[in-house]
Amino acid sequence: MVRSKSQRMVRMILAWIVVGLFFFPLYYWMTVAFKEGREIFDIPPRVFNFTPTMKNFEEVFGISFGFGFGEQREVLPGGGNWYMTPRLLDSIIIAVGSTALAIAISTFASYALSRMDFRGRHHFVGWVLSTRMMPPVAVAIPMFFMFRDFGLMDTHFGIILIHALMNLPLAVLLLKSFFDDIPREIDESAIIDGASRFLIFRRVVFPMAKGGIAATAVLCFIFSWTEFLFVLTLTQTGLKTVPVVASTFVTSTGTAWGNMAALGTAAMIPAFIFILLVQKQLVRGLTLGSLKQ
Amino acid sequence: MATVEYQKIGKSFGTVVVLNDLDLTINEGEFVVLLGASGCGKTTLLRMTAGLETVGSGNLSIDGRRVNDVHPRDRDIAMVFQNYALYPTMKVYDNIAFSLQVAKRPEQEIRAKVDEAASVLGLTPYLGRYPKELSGGQRQRVAMGRAMVRNAKVFLFDEPLSNLDAKLRAHMRVEIRQLHDRLAATTIYVTHDQIEAMTMADKIVLMHEGRIIQVGKPDDLYDIPNSKYVADFIGSPTMNFLDGQLRRAGKKVQFVCGDLKLSLPAGFSDQQDGRRVICGIRPADVTLSAKGEITGELSLIEKTGADMQLHTTVENHEFVAIVPRGVDVAAGTSVHFAVQADKLHIFDAGTELRI
Ligand SMILES: Nc1ncnc2c1ncn2[C@@H]1O[C@H](COP(=O)(O)OP(=O)(O)OP(=O)(O)O)[C@@H](O)[C@H]1O
Ligand SMILES: [Mg+2]
Repeated sequence: MVRSKSQRMVRMILAWIVVGLFFFPLYYWMTVAFKEGREIFDIPPRVFNFTPTMKNFEEVFGISFGFGFGEQREVLPGGGNWYMTPRLLDSIIIAVGSTALAIAISTFASYALSRMDFRGRHHFVGWVLSTRMMPPVAVAIPMFFMFRDFGLMDTHFGIILIHALMNLPLAVLLLKSFFDDIPREIDESAIIDGASRFLIFRRVVFPMAKGGIAATAVLCFIFSWTEFLFVLTLTQTGLKTVPVVASTFVTSTGTAWGNMAALGTAAMIPAFIFILLVQKQLVRGLTLGSLKQ
Repeated sequence: MATVEYQKIGKSFGTVVVLNDLDLTINEGEFVVLLGASGCGKTTLLRMTAGLETVGSGNLSIDGRRVNDVHPRDRDIAMVFQNYALYPTMKVYDNIAFSLQVAKRPEQEIRAKVDEAASVLGLTPYLGRYPKELSGGQRQRVAMGRAMVRNAKVFLFDEPLSNLDAKLRAHMRVEIRQLHDRLAATTIYVTHDQIEAMTMADKIVLMHEGRIIQVGKPDDLYDIPNSKYVADFIGSPTMNFLDGQLRRAGKKVQFVCGDLKLSLPAGFSDQQDGRRVICGIRPADVTLSAKGEITGELSLIEKTGADMQLHTTVENHEFVAIVPRGVDVAAGTSVHFAVQADKLHIFDAGTELRI
């Protein structure tokens, strides 16, 4: 298509406006992390003309920037030096763990659902989804008692388990649609070639579904990274993830906006790295070249 | 190399009957083409032979062994799918080698076999490529290479050429046939293209709505179609059909349709007067002749290169004739055709079976 120069300019400008709309709130949030005290509340808001400071990060993570790494400083309100770093680690362990568990189970489950004939196959998907129809809050309290009795309370494994379970229905549904897109003939061709089900899965189907699995993993990771309710009810002192701990900056004597923004900004980094790692797999056209077109 | 035998094979999906009481024997080394319109059950029969579909009823034997309940990998068959079904994440080499790798053959043997198949199919330069980096024809060859290295007893092809352009298709037809002659393996080849069937087959099996209508050599199906359906299906352009009656005139029997009268060969002398029949005449079997019995109103002349197709109306029936290029006719005039009595195909008007 041939477009005039002005048309292209308009398109470009519109594109940048849309990008700006999405990016600006994020950017403003990050600037809050680098602002101190009053500057956060200045009207008109200081978008570019603020004095950047690392104070919020130092308070939250107990790292003294500019004076050497981890220099001892006075104890800060809320727990002391480094006091948010373990929370970030908790979040990473739980998000990675629950994603791995959910993906491991849902990959096999959805492949089976896509390929194998068994009674009730068609109802299965609806039934799987129905577990997500109930508001989580409705089961939070029963879960609390169950976790307490099973000794899962306040453990990483417990939270990994519950996040994985919450992700399973959606992951199964998503992955099933990816497997459904892979023509059965490819499986059948491999069956005739003498391969067992597991070998077909490992050598033929899995490499084709990698993109879909990666996309599903991103969704699972983000869900777990931001989940609030179950971490709040099922943990006490043993661990806390970022969303829960961020809420502790809201106190009876005021809200520590700067600290909260610093934690939030820092929390975006691991999620961002995870998505970057997985994104390489997000290739389009998973059956490219296998079929006549 | 093996025989394949179908005895009273039936198959339905739910309430839909797809194959019905099918009997067929395929001899060792034969190239059999399953021919039929879309939806007549060709793919289903082929998949059943491969073991990808359960046998509904009846017996299926390969090489004299009943294989109804034998797993596909133990049937010793190779199959080229309607949509190739290559493994997109594997290079051409691994696509072809996969079955041998699965069988844990020694690396050297695998390489030798793949190299041989690749050189026969002209794929040697492409072994390191992925399927998506190949043209349609090359993909088709990879699918064939995959089947070749198997050394299977029976080769199954499901419309392997249906998406190639006309020229490549003609080329691949010859190649597949040559390949068959080289390997001398029993081959079952599915197509809905009658030209493919005519040019490649030792034996054509014409199917219609889950039943076998006629089995025979390509020439037999062309020269002695056993029903109007077969006559209509085989040959291009299709056979002309005229509705009429048989008339006795002394010892001779004529086909009569309006003012048109055609004498029939001696074999029809015991036919009853007034029997309603359909007379089939192939477009290529008529010749332009001023004294010809068939008179048609010429409406359209189609030039196809070597010859011309004359579209005419004969006694209110569409009638197409093929004549050599350059004969002097003009649209809007009457033309006359002659036809030999033994080129007439007479079918009963009710049963549409050959008389
Ligand atoms: N899994 C299935 N479930 C229900 N009906 C089916 C199934 N597979 C095939 N059929 C039906 O069986 C009939 C025969 O199908 P088949 O694929 O064998 O046709 P075909 O002769 O190969 O046609 P084509 O030339 O279009 O490939 C069709 O009417 C089809 O709708
Ligand atoms: Mg088919």
